[in-house]
Amino acid sequence: MSGSEADRRIPNQRAHTRSRMSIDEKISKTLNDLDAISPEAIGELFGEVTSALESERKALIAAGAGDGRERSQKVKDLRDRWLARKGGLVSLIDENWLKKAPKELKPAVGRAFNQLRQVATCVDTESLLQEVRVQADVPVRLVAHAGVEFTAEVIRGQDLTLPGYRQPMGSIHPVTQVMREIEDIFLGLGFSIESGPEIESVYYNFDALNIPESHPARDDWDTLYVNSETVLRTHTSPVQIRAMEKHGAPLYILCPGKAYRHDNPDSTHATMFHQVEGLAVDRDISFADLKGTLDYFARKFFGDKIKTNFVPSFFPFTEPSGELSISCVFCGGEGCRVCKESGWIEVMGCGMVHPEVLRHGGIDPERYSGWAFGLGVERFAMMKYDINDIQLFHQGDVRFLEQF
Amino acid sequence: MAVCAPASLYLKTEIMKVSLNWLKEFVEVPADARRLKADLTSVGLNAESFQAVGEDVVFEVEVTTNRPDCLSHYGVAREVAALYRKHLAPLEFVCKESSAAASAEASIEILNPELCARYCGRVVQGVEVKASPDWLVRRLEAVGQRPINNVADITNYVLMELGHPLHAFDLTRLKGRRIIVRSARPGEQLQTLDGVARTLAASDLVIADSTRPVALAGVMGGEESEISGDTRSVLLESAWFDPATIRRTSKTQGLHTEASHRFERGADIEMAPVALDRAAILIAQLAGGEVLRGVIDVYPSPKHRTYIELRRSEIQRILGAEVPWEEIERVLRTLGFKVERRGTEGWRVTPPLSRLDVDREVDLIEEVARHYGYNRLPSRVRPAPTRLAAGETRSKELRISNTLVALGYREIIPSAMVDPAENARFTDRPPVVLENPLSQDAAAMRSSAVPSMVHTLKWNLDRYRTDLRLYEMGRVYSARDASLPDERRVLVLGTSGNREPSTLHSKETELNFFDLKGHVEELLGCFDLSGLKFEPSDAGYLEEGVAGRFVAEDSTVATLGRLREDLARGYKLRQAVWLAEVELDVLLSAALRQKSFKPISKFPPVERDFSLVVPESTAYGRLEETIRGLAIEEIQSMTPVDRRPSGELPEGTIPPGHASLLLRITFQSPTHTLASDEVESQSRRIVEALEPLGVQIRAQA
Repeated sequence: MSGSEADRRIPNQRAHTRSRMSIDEKISKTLNDLDAISPEAIGELFGEVTSALESERKALIAAGAGDGRERSQKVKDLRDRWLARKGGLVSLIDENWLKKAPKELKPAVGRAFNQLRQVATCVDTESLLQEVRVQADVPVRLVAHAGVEFTAEVIRGQDLTLPGYRQPMGSIHPVTQVMREIEDIFLGLGFSIESGPEIESVYYNFDALNIPESHPARDDWDTLYVNSETVLRTHTSPVQIRAMEKHGAPLYILCPGKAYRHDNPDSTHATMFHQVEGLAVDRDISFADLKGTLDYFARKFFGDKIKTNFVPSFFPFTEPSGELSISCVFCGGEGCRVCKESGWIEVMGCGMVHPEVLRHGGIDPERYSGWAFGLGVERFAMMKYDINDIQLFHQGDVRFLEQF
Repeated sequence: MAVCAPASLYLKTEIMKVSLNWLKEFVEVPADARRLKADLTSVGLNAESFQAVGEDVVFEVEVTTNRPDCLSHYGVAREVAALYRKHLAPLEFVCKESSAAASAEASIEILNPELCARYCGRVVQGVEVKASPDWLVRRLEAVGQRPINNVADITNYVLMELGHPLHAFDLTRLKGRRIIVRSARPGEQLQTLDGVARTLAASDLVIADSTRPVALAGVMGGEESEISGDTRSVLLESAWFDPATIRRTSKTQGLHTEASHRFERGADIEMAPVALDRAAILIAQLAGGEVLRGVIDVYPSPKHRTYIELRRSEIQRILGAEVPWEEIERVLRTLGFKVERRGTEGWRVTPPLSRLDVDREVDLIEEVARHYGYNRLPSRVRPAPTRLAAGETRSKELRISNTLVALGYREIIPSAMVDPAENARFTDRPPVVLENPLSQDAAAMRSSAVPSMVHTLKWNLDRYRTDLRLYEMGRVYSARDASLPDERRVLVLGTSGNREPSTLHSKETELNFFDLKGHVEELLGCFDLSGLKFEPSDAGYLEEGVAGRFVAEDSTVATLGRLREDLARGYKLRQAVWLAEVELDVLLSAALRQKSFKPISKFPPVERDFSLVVPESTAYGRLEETIRGLAIEEIQSMTPVDRRPSGELPEGTIPPGHASLLLRITFQSPTHTLASDEVESQSRRIVEALEPLGVQIRAQA
């Protein structure tokens, strides 16, 4: 509404007069008599009619109990009062308001009238009886469906509380979801994605990564062998060497993929699992780049509230080597069963690429340096979704898959 | 040594139990247990947990493979000293000796000095072998060692304290009272302390007396020279063996011991005589007896370490930070390194013989960084300056998985390992057989991904999930002569059950071949595959008659159909399953279909239904091909609406051996409203073109 006080005073007065009439009285008059000569006034009038209709209907439903005959008489009365062809309020409105409306108001009145006719079907015998019955038998109650509460109402015989038709849905495996999320973060930093063979030579899987046969570190990986020269890769690290050989420096890559271990499957061990490794090789890459990038990554993935902590560790292919921990996502760092009361959870291994590894990749370690990390995707998914058994990822049970 | 659950990189790690009271014998610990646990972790000794044991506190510390020096209390105490800037107690053991010389009682000879660089021995006479005193038993038990008798317990005690493995022989049982360190003669026998009779190889190093091996060097002693209740004279061994040799013997003999664990990682050669004295003193103290004069020390070529140049500039380059001079020198010196300043450029640093893991500049930088604190080092984010092809296949893969998910498929990631016999039922390609599989069910890397899908379908059917649409994007592997097996990428679809769930709103309709075909068509439609054709397939694992394949330029792109009935019975499947195998490498090498907008016609479409009688032997595909061959631009779509073989119709309606086909064709022009005679003349062309195929028209509406 717009306009000054003065403009609005007169219609308000008229409205005031109108408001003292009963709805029946109003309907017996023409719009002109009622001084309803603007679309707003007409809207207001029809609004009054609709609310009268609604309150009468509700009153009937509220008083719904009682014996059958009395009930149907009441239903019939209300229906006739509004919908009777002769003398029903709806037809009176048609007669007195619509037909006698001034030409310029006809379209507006027509629209409002049509709406009213629609709404008024709620007092036809069938709808009313249905509701009165529901009212009589079961008290109005709320039903919850998919977390939303609806009033249990059956309108014109339609029970809309019945469940909706659900199309069969597809879904992406949680491991893939987590892997893509990790990829997206690094793609955003300008990294590229590289892949390599899963059945790998001992050279790429171990020797080139500075893990000679004669060193006990070789035993840190339980390995599945094809023959003495060929293994199922125990990590995605061989891709780093292959990428260095192929592209040289500078190099910023991410290597996601499957890896295998000679481990009997249980809730924390899987023969097959997924890793994502990252590698950055450039001039003047330092531990500071490693810390900054992985800190950024961890916050992006686990949320801005977490804290990160780097502690020394050992991997034959990095020096210095480290382990990145994040403040426990379960207890917020207070200490709980998951983080063994330490407040920290180890999430990935990392370090500065060992000079020998750079050399194996054909890169001069005096000119270039690099950092690398490796993480277990299933472990990330387990933390993110609170999954307690790694075997669930590879069983393909739909009851598991449909939760993601 | 226990092996613990996987950390982030799924590495096995060794846990060492460390007693706080024991540590305190060597260094002041100005922190409570909780603080110490965190601080040890911060220098790379990951303290997993701690626990009160009587008046002591015992920590479980993960010791990585490169740090054998920390497999002892003294080694850990050295780290603690550097951590808290405390003084590490020096090891000064003065052994009270008798006047008789040890060398008169026993002799030691090393025949392979390259495999045994040092062998020290002492003789203790008049010992009484019995149970150890309580304090010793408690200590050993606190760190997870089982007490045996006082002499054996003392060697274990010194092992846990100083990290150097010792062995005690009953001297009287050594023939000729001689120790000869030599390679085993092939086929020689030795019964080790674990009761196993072992046949030795030339690559094994043994400790022998004048006639036979009495111990597997650095791994385990022999039963015959074992300390027993009758033992009065003890020969104590403290030696240094070549790590690679010990590792080989330990592996081939399948014998991993506390001793071999340390020797293969590299023991401290200078600790050998120190540990020997420590043990001799304890034996004299706890088992009585007297230590004979002198250490028999065979050390033909004493080892030295050469210095490593440590450049200031390199520290800056690798760590990205300036670490103060004094800090660098303090850390390295406390850890036992000799540090010599070289002007302003850097240092010459000589590592101790206990730190064989440190042999290059970057190793020294790690030592500095560990104790300076990783968390004190700076941090910066530097995005990649260049970008290689960011993975064109990635966007194609995303397109494929988006399409499949929209079609209601759920992704699975099953194991790629199979039973080779099962694999052979699905493909002729040889799988990649594993040398050391975990089980027969997982004895090879699959050369077909279909069995994994069948297993997953079965898993769900057996759990009453009957309406299934699953897909896997994975690899198959096959053996070949080249150095590495062939790896191909495949996409497998598996469906079963109903197209729509049976609900109040929908009637259940069973999935059939054409559901799967439609899904594959949708998928292939994302790509620009020229000359794509469909034909029956003879894939052996599919039921004949309901098996087809898509071919593009003579290579199969996809094979699909129903799992052969006898195979399905073998798997005890509750219901039919439908499978499609898509050659992902072929698909990914094709370009994604170019998206270019075609203007939407403003003129009304005209639908014409052709009621045809078609010989049953004439495939619909031929009809469609023929009509497409007319290249009628106005044909918007062509849909077979109804098809019935003569048997389903009242007799005489159509000739036997024929089928009725209702074909709906929609015509529309982009330029004008089609006049009815235009549609008529095109329709006539269509009917005429179909006639040579034996197709007749019944009626046209």
